[in-house]
Amino acid sequence: MPTAGLLLAGCAGPQSALDPGGDQAHALFSLFGLMLWVSGAIYAVVLAGLGWALWRAWRRRGTDARRDATLVGGVDARLDRTLPVVAGAIVLGLTVLITGSFFADRALFATRAAPALEVRVTGHQWWWRVQYRDRVSDGWIETANELHLPQGVTVRLVLNSADVIHSFWVPNVAGKLDMVPGRTNRLDVTARRPGWYRGQCAEFCGTQHAHMAFAVKVEPPAAFRAWLAAQAAPAAPAEGRGAAAFQATCAACHAIRGAGAAGRAGPDLTHVAARRTLAAGALTMTRGNLQGWIAQPKAIKPGTSMPAIPLTPADADAVATYLATLR
Amino acid sequence: MAIGRGGATTAVLAALLLAACGREARDIGPSLGETPPRGGSDPRIPYYQDNVYQVAQGGRYFGWYGCVACHVEGAVGVRDLGDGRWQHGGGFDQVYAAIARRHGALNYAARIPAEPLWQLTAYVRDLPQHTPEKRRRLAIDQVGEPHGRSWSGPVR
Repeated sequence: MPTAGLLLAGCAGPQSALDPGGDQAHALFSLFGLMLWVSGAIYAVVLAGLGWALWRAWRRRGTDARRDATLVGGVDARLDRTLPVVAGAIVLGLTVLITGSFFADRALFATRAAPALEVRVTGHQWWWRVQYRDRVSDGWIETANELHLPQGVTVRLVLNSADVIHSFWVPNVAGKLDMVPGRTNRLDVTARRPGWYRGQCAEFCGTQHAHMAFAVKVEPPAAFRAWLAAQAAPAAPAEGRGAAAFQATCAACHAIRGAGAAGRAGPDLTHVAARRTLAAGALTMTRGNLQGWIAQPKAIKPGTSMPAIPLTPADADAVATYLATLR
Repeated sequence: MAIGRGGATTAVLAALLLAACGREARDIGPSLGETPPRGGSDPRIPYYQDNVYQVAQGGRYFGWYGCVACHVEGAVGVRDLGDGRWQHGGGFDQVYAAIARRHGALNYAARIPAEPLWQLTAYVRDLPQHTPEKRRRLAIDQVGEPHGRSWSGPVR
């Protein structure tokens, strides 16, 4: 029992397909369960047959097989009778699997005909651009490396890539879907269980593929609307030493809405300190990690396109302090 | 020690085949380009100019920093970077200085850190060798990338 407990402990958690927290993940988990039982039964039958044959051969060692009573004219009559039964059972098992797969597919696409909340997710080397439709301005509310999903509501994720093939995967919520440059893929997710989950790029996309993760929060619709309203709000106008240093260098690639920074190459930082992680899941969001990441991004994610900016220690400190206020 | 003719041929073939691998090498150590080049014979120049990865990174920064706004495909005069004529000299250090110091109020020396400037310089010096097919290929590759302050998404 303790061994089984230890083995099963790995099945739960924030990044596990065996701990479904949404409709699509449930459909896939059920299919996985069906596959496990059918294939397990076939495996058991095949091994039992092998064991039985070995046991029979061991019991009859020394006797002449040609005098075996079951052999009539060189043909094993019992084998003739049982083989179709075994083959039929295997075909039946495979038919059950194909039927299960068919119904799981239908369940995954059941929401496709109805309108749903659209969220654009774009893969970049090595981070995620996340955009929600702004109902007021009809524009997009942009954030990065964090996806919030309203509980019990179907969200249509519109998946693209800006550079190479990435793959969107939040195993607790849905199966994976590739993000292909020049193509738009759509993935419907209906999350049911509130909490924090972890998403991960599931297609090798370069040196920092392993550090291309994101946080997913499933929350009640009211909390989701409050979060989205907070994300839509601009930051306070920039003032102070940190904001000035940010404008001089970082703003070439990063945007802070309301504070004049409008670069689009890197993640939008309007509410960066409100996020759970930093550098696409590589670090937890703390004031110290912010400054460490700014000082030497390539020491934390070798190969990242974010260059180390030669700031004086006082400026680096001021920039990190400024960013930590962007909640 | 004597090496048979077959062994020598194999060694030459292997060297030829593997020679191209070095051109793509990615270095994950501390970056070499933390200061501007010291003259045209700075030993770091071949590291950036001869490495396909470093040149390609320069191409990405070329879009991200918004260089493409002026140096567009079909630009003429000093803005045409592919014609092989360099107003302030075509040496690595000269092109680097022209990017960093000769863009007036854009003041790239202060706004762009040294390593992207190294990569941008390598990319810009690579442009005159681009064939029309390669330019088209690069344009397709970078269609989804952000350009300066605009990003419209990878699918139009």
